[in-house]
Amino acid sequence: MATANVTGMTHRKVQVQSNFQRWAFLFMRVSGLALLILAVGHMMIQHVLNSSSNLSIQFVAAQWNSWGWKVFDMLLLAFALTHGMNGFRNVLEDYIHNPQTVKIVNTVLAIFTIITVLWAGYAIARFNSTPFMGN
Amino acid sequence: MQVNLRIRRFNPEKDTKAWWGEYTLSDVHPTDTVLDLLNRVKWEIDGTLSLRRSCAHGVCGSDAMRINEVNALACKTLVQRLEKKGDTMTIQIEPILGLRVIKDLIVDMEPFMEHYRAVMPYFINDSPPPADGRERLQSQEDRARFDDTTKCILCACCTTSCPSFWANGKYIGPASIVQAHRFIFDSRDEGAAERLKVVGDTFGVWRCRTIFNCTNACPRDIEVTKAIAEVKGVLATGEI
Repeated sequence: MATANVTGMTHRKVQVQSNFQRWAFLFMRVSGLALLILAVGHMMIQHVLNSSSNLSIQFVAAQWNSWGWKVFDMLLLAFALTHGMNGFRNVLEDYIHNPQTVKIVNTVLAIFTIITVLWAGYAIARFNSTPFMGN
Repeated sequence: MQVNLRIRRFNPEKDTKAWWGEYTLSDVHPTDTVLDLLNRVKWEIDGTLSLRRSCAHGVCGSDAMRINEVNALACKTLVQRLEKKGDTMTIQIEPILGLRVIKDLIVDMEPFMEHYRAVMPYFINDSPPPADGRERLQSQEDRARFDDTTKCILCACCTTSCPSFWANGKYIGPASIVQAHRFIFDSRDEGAAERLKVVGDTFGVWRCRTIFNCTNACPRDIEVTKAIAEVKGVLATGEI
């Protein structure tokens, strides 16, 4: 009796409904990858290539004299805070069962995150290195 | 060998809260299972002890319980595999966590089964069968993709070992996701989009924190966390 020969792996496309949880999951992956470069880079610069015991305002001022490093640190700030806060939101959602309370907590976390990123980002952007240079 | 059994007891008709029953068994063989010991307690010491068991060979999944604080099937757990201090051994046995205790080691499985039914754990394909009237064929490669998740026996060891499920019982839990995986990755099935709606919901796969308790607890050695990650992957990319 002849038998049909079916081989190979089938790949299918499927319609996936997007929701906030899916975007939050994808954001954690992307920000996690970004932090691998940004946070590890930051650790390397501050604590491996330079000794943290010699870390001074002059060192920071020299770094922030360049817009490249300012942008690096602003990205680190934005990704670290949003990644951390999203994780915190996940943990809280496990234990807060009232949907209304979840909404309030998420709003408070979002406002705190946005204000902190903007405020700290503004501080980095406006940092004037000149008074600390050449001492 | 002598074994001391500490069993979490609760009779809703008599007790206001659970208590520890202590039973000493002698002449225990290292190759006895924990189910053998529980049967001895029930048959020889205290007939009121209540527990579920059926096949006693790790196939039916009835006797999932917390043995020395780890979820396992009593019928698959040999005494010799448990930790022994000195000459005597103490084994602590509790009902699985996260589900309401009905009596002693018996828990209400209905919330677990409700989550199981939610993922539509059956073959969906409305297209006509092959012209020759025979079965829908599948390659070995396609079959291999969901082979691991066909092994689930619905014992609930995974779901009731999951801290996310303990924290919120609305989470559909690892066992339901394993069942969803079994059909989503079946190339002959056409119900993936509907199932992904359920597992992609707020109380679906996103509640998994990759703690790996489920994988450690599974008496069938299913790579549960991997299956959950694969379902997350499909939800992220839209590709199976």
